[in-house]
Amino acid sequence: MSEPTATPLLELRGIAKSYGGVQALADVSFAIQPAAVHALVGENGAGKSTLVKIVTGVVHPDDGELLIDGEPTRVGDPQAAHRFGIVAMYQEPTVFPDLTVAENVFAGRHPRTGVRTVDWGAMRTEASRILNELGVDFGADTPVRGLGVADRQLLEIAKALSSSARLLIMDEPTAALSPNEVENLFATVRRLRERGVAIVFISHRLEEVSVIADTVTILRDGRHVATRPAAELAHGEIVRLMVGRSLDALFPKEEAEIGDVVFRAEGLSRGGVFSNIAFELRRGEIVGLAGFVGSGRTEVARSIFGIDPLDRGRLWIDGRPFGPRSPRAALRRGLAYLPEDRLHQGLVQPMSVAQNVSMAVLPQLTPGGLLRPRRERALARRFMEQLRIKATSPAQIVRSLSGGNQQKVVLSKWLAAEPKILILDEPTHGVDVGTKADVHRTISHLAAQGLTILLISSELLEVLGMSDRILVMREGRLVAEIGRGEATEERVIAAAAGVAEAAA
Amino acid sequence: MSPSLRGITPQTLAAAVLRLREFGILLALGAAVAFFTIRAPNFDSVGNWQGIAQNVAIVIVVGVGETLVVLTRNIDLSVGSIVGLTAYLSAATFAHYSGAPLPVVALIAVAIGLCLGLANGLLVAVAKVPAIIATLATLAIYRGIDVQITGGGNITAYELPDRFLKLASTKPAGVPTLAWVAAGVAVVGAAAVRWAPWSRDLYAIGSNPEAARFAGIPVGRRVITAFALSGALAGLGGFLWASRFPTVDAVAAKGFELDVITAVVIGGVNVFGGSGTMLGVALGALLVATIQNGFTLLRISEFWRLFFNGFAIVVAVTIDALVTRRLQEALRRRRAEALAARHLEAGA
Amino acid sequence: MKAAQAIAVRLLARWETLLVVAIVGAGIWSTTLSPFFLQRANLLDLLTPYIFIGLMAFGLAFVVIAGEIDISIVSNMAASVVCFAQLYAAGVNVWLAALIGLGVATVLGLVNGALVSLLELPSLAITLGTLAAYSGLAYVILSGEGVASFPAGYSKIGGGYIGKELPIALLVVIALALVLGLVLHATRFGRYVFTIGSNREAARFSGIPVARVRMTVFAVSGLMAGFAGVVYVGYFGSARADAGTGSLLDVVTAVVLGGVDIFGGAGSMLGVFLALILVAELRNGMQLANIQGDTQDIVIGGLLLAAIIAGNLLRAVQGGRIRVGPLRLARREVVEHEATEAIIASKLAPENLKGR
Repeated sequence: MSEPTATPLLELRGIAKSYGGVQALADVSFAIQPAAVHALVGENGAGKSTLVKIVTGVVHPDDGELLIDGEPTRVGDPQAAHRFGIVAMYQEPTVFPDLTVAENVFAGRHPRTGVRTVDWGAMRTEASRILNELGVDFGADTPVRGLGVADRQLLEIAKALSSSARLLIMDEPTAALSPNEVENLFATVRRLRERGVAIVFISHRLEEVSVIADTVTILRDGRHVATRPAAELAHGEIVRLMVGRSLDALFPKEEAEIGDVVFRAEGLSRGGVFSNIAFELRRGEIVGLAGFVGSGRTEVARSIFGIDPLDRGRLWIDGRPFGPRSPRAALRRGLAYLPEDRLHQGLVQPMSVAQNVSMAVLPQLTPGGLLRPRRERALARRFMEQLRIKATSPAQIVRSLSGGNQQKVVLSKWLAAEPKILILDEPTHGVDVGTKADVHRTISHLAAQGLTILLISSELLEVLGMSDRILVMREGRLVAEIGRGEATEERVIAAAAGVAEAAA
Repeated sequence: MSPSLRGITPQTLAAAVLRLREFGILLALGAAVAFFTIRAPNFDSVGNWQGIAQNVAIVIVVGVGETLVVLTRNIDLSVGSIVGLTAYLSAATFAHYSGAPLPVVALIAVAIGLCLGLANGLLVAVAKVPAIIATLATLAIYRGIDVQITGGGNITAYELPDRFLKLASTKPAGVPTLAWVAAGVAVVGAAAVRWAPWSRDLYAIGSNPEAARFAGIPVGRRVITAFALSGALAGLGGFLWASRFPTVDAVAAKGFELDVITAVVIGGVNVFGGSGTMLGVALGALLVATIQNGFTLLRISEFWRLFFNGFAIVVAVTIDALVTRRLQEALRRRRAEALAARHLEAGA
Repeated sequence: MKAAQAIAVRLLARWETLLVVAIVGAGIWSTTLSPFFLQRANLLDLLTPYIFIGLMAFGLAFVVIAGEIDISIVSNMAASVVCFAQLYAAGVNVWLAALIGLGVATVLGLVNGALVSLLELPSLAITLGTLAAYSGLAYVILSGEGVASFPAGYSKIGGGYIGKELPIALLVVIALALVLGLVLHATRFGRYVFTIGSNREAARFSGIPVARVRMTVFAVSGLMAGFAGVVYVGYFGSARADAGTGSLLDVVTAVVLGGVDIFGGAGSMLGVFLALILVAELRNGMQLANIQGDTQDIVIGGLLLAAIIAGNLLRAVQGGRIRVGPLRLARREVVEHEATEAIIASKLAPENLKGR
């Protein structure tokens, strides 16, 4: 069927892309054949999502070219990608909650009758057909408001199926699906393949990759490592290729004296998000919280910090019960949380460095409620020095700083609050190497001084390098606890992906 | 999982709530009618009902247009001024050319309204002025133009041709002509939001503007269309206004936008955009008109009307938001439980 | 030298500077209309009829900077005015009655705040409702007739002079502008208002008492409506239920023209004060040119639109990212970075800008 001489549907040649000095992709070349399932694997940060963005025209490569049907082509924007038949399905669905499933599937391109009115009958029939094909248990007339994340993901798939895609990119489509639904999805994927559609399948679950993929491409650190037929690749081999390096010296973990338990959680649950989470943190300890995106790590942290309500569970700080009612209450008890979304949750972009750094400690800095700009500036200067923030002055507007320096500002904000326990959610996501080292140095130093840190990170090396202990989450549950001594990348990945440990 | 449990999941529940909304208005309407019939003399008479129908007609005509705008998560405060301006222009046309054909004048009014609405749409969609501010400004501007044109004068019923005045006073089949027009507009509006592809885009835009862009819906153009139609229907409303209240001056229909918005919001059009039906709007308008009529008959101060309008908006918005939130939470949990159960099943 | 130059450039680029230029320009225009314009007494009295508008604009500025809107503010003033008048007519001491009027206005503001902040309802729809409700309340309390004949000692607040030429009302407005400017720009509360208006999510994550601040902001708006009412009665010497009808446009214009970002997070009390002067000057000038009140609204409305469009252009030039303000009643669905970026990219796609 797919002869080696056939023209690939899509070919990448020497694709490179960097974001503000961080090389996201370098010289990536491989081809995607029609009528085949092409798995794309790699750690977080390996460059998969950047690659998807380039193919779908969301970002443009700095170098290299894309060939569609053998022709060099510029994919200017997502609409252009659509015209070439390239359709991407995103992890986080974008839906219309007020409309029915059928209308969501056909939003913006309703089937029409002869007199150019909406053909509800055809729309429902077609939507039902697609939903049946997917084997989902909700009907075409269901209002989307009532659907959970998993269902919305299925809806995204249905949307993609309803358009005449030649290349369908599925980014972690199975993350929130039950085994049953995964089965149905795979059946659909196979049917699509028979129709000649090429599917790029991105997944962290390696067993799924072996089940569904014809070809596997492995990326690591923005570079293309291998593209091989799936049949030739065992799990262990894939993991080895994904990881492929030893712990480097980037993570200078200082030895810290680990003290008493300062934080305890028992039976934390939140409906449909995570359940029965229990763990302890000790003074001076850095505990890594690993797991893939969507495993519930961030959600646990948000609930502990009082942003989302807990359905069940109890917490103690320093042995005293703690009810996380609001971030304010959490801060008062010495708990701080650096959120993963720097832009929306961390920074106030149009404000100055000093105003951002002082944000969480303003009550202490403003006796009588009056602002003391000098104190704020002094505070900011202290952290600019300590964290090597490159800003012209504390008065510089945060928006004009680089990503790395912005992240340091957010970190400063929380350090200024002098917490006892600090939850860091992806503290080095999207920052350059230098900043990363600065952040790691600071974290490590603070732990040595007795700060307790819960480090959430998708970057395995970071978790392995920094943590005294690693907790692993999968599908809303805590599935493993690994001590520093026994922690290897293979073990953590295996636990997070839910596969039997790969033979190393 | 047992099929019976699945039978009552999302669709039935949410659909029930939607129907509940219209049912709720009907219930309130029934209660109001019953109350006024008992308490107010003459309430339940043909004449009074015809009066209510006449009062409600223009609110419905303009409300259909306003609904299109609110569906896109915007608002049009300028409709009162557009009604006033086009009412004066219609009356002035007849005063000068008493032989002018009705449809032509109506079309002129609609066209003028369309242009004014178009200006609103451009301000919102192209110049990115928030709808509330843009239409607050045009509310003043259009009224200013109205004043400029009237020059402080007015037009009285004596200057208008009978056939125009009859538009409001005749009652084919016992129902005032105005009400027939309103019913026609409401039916066309209901059909449009159900069957016209562009109107389905309005729901999508109001439901999630970002996703709408992502789905390739021309958001700006649709928003402009909604405002333009709102203006056009306000123009038609102005034409009807002049026949119903034939003494037209520069303050005609001042504050009318509040009546319209009250009807729309009570009628269940979500101020967050994305949901609402024309039937609901018509019922909402009818409810407001009935209660106001009852107040008048009971000699309750007319000033309570204004208070009632505002209070109704606040209550409707609050109930809408709370019900939506509750519903979403309930559905989320139900779904999560169902999924968990299936996970267990699959695991076993 | 260089520093001085930089300061000069920054000063020139400030919105407030533009306002001063516009004020001077409008002044020149007014002088051509009437040679009396430049007389000291006239200049000092310029603001007097617009003091109540200014006070409401100061209050509204807090709400808008916090990313919300309060269009009920004028009705609120009317309601507090009639409460005050009824109490006075019933024999309560005039100052005590005024104080109660302030209290009523604050409570009405708090009602808005509670609905918006505690129940997380859209301020636009809520205050549109209370705009009608409070106005209705005013009519119900004081139907038809107004209350006039307030004691002369009281009326001074709005129409009296110190010496021969210095209006007391001018001192009131300057004093309140200074106090509110201080609150907005030099207190922790003020900082919280800006922070919440810029990024409510980040404010919440930083432990800022978001709900409390948002509620307070509406209370401030109510209180200022109350002060506006006190001055209004002093100036006009009567209290009627339709007090201030039609001045919402001027209030909103003063706020927006004053450089307050309609999407929240930016603005200054000085700017609002200058914008108030400009609006008063223009209205005064148009009066001199024999332009009618409702026709003046065309100009003021145009000014309001121009101010927002200019602000939008300025932001676009500064390269700020596209923001969806609370005024659009944004109800964001969860969107991951990737999707967001894709959406922004598609927003910027040429065919989307001109439609399909």
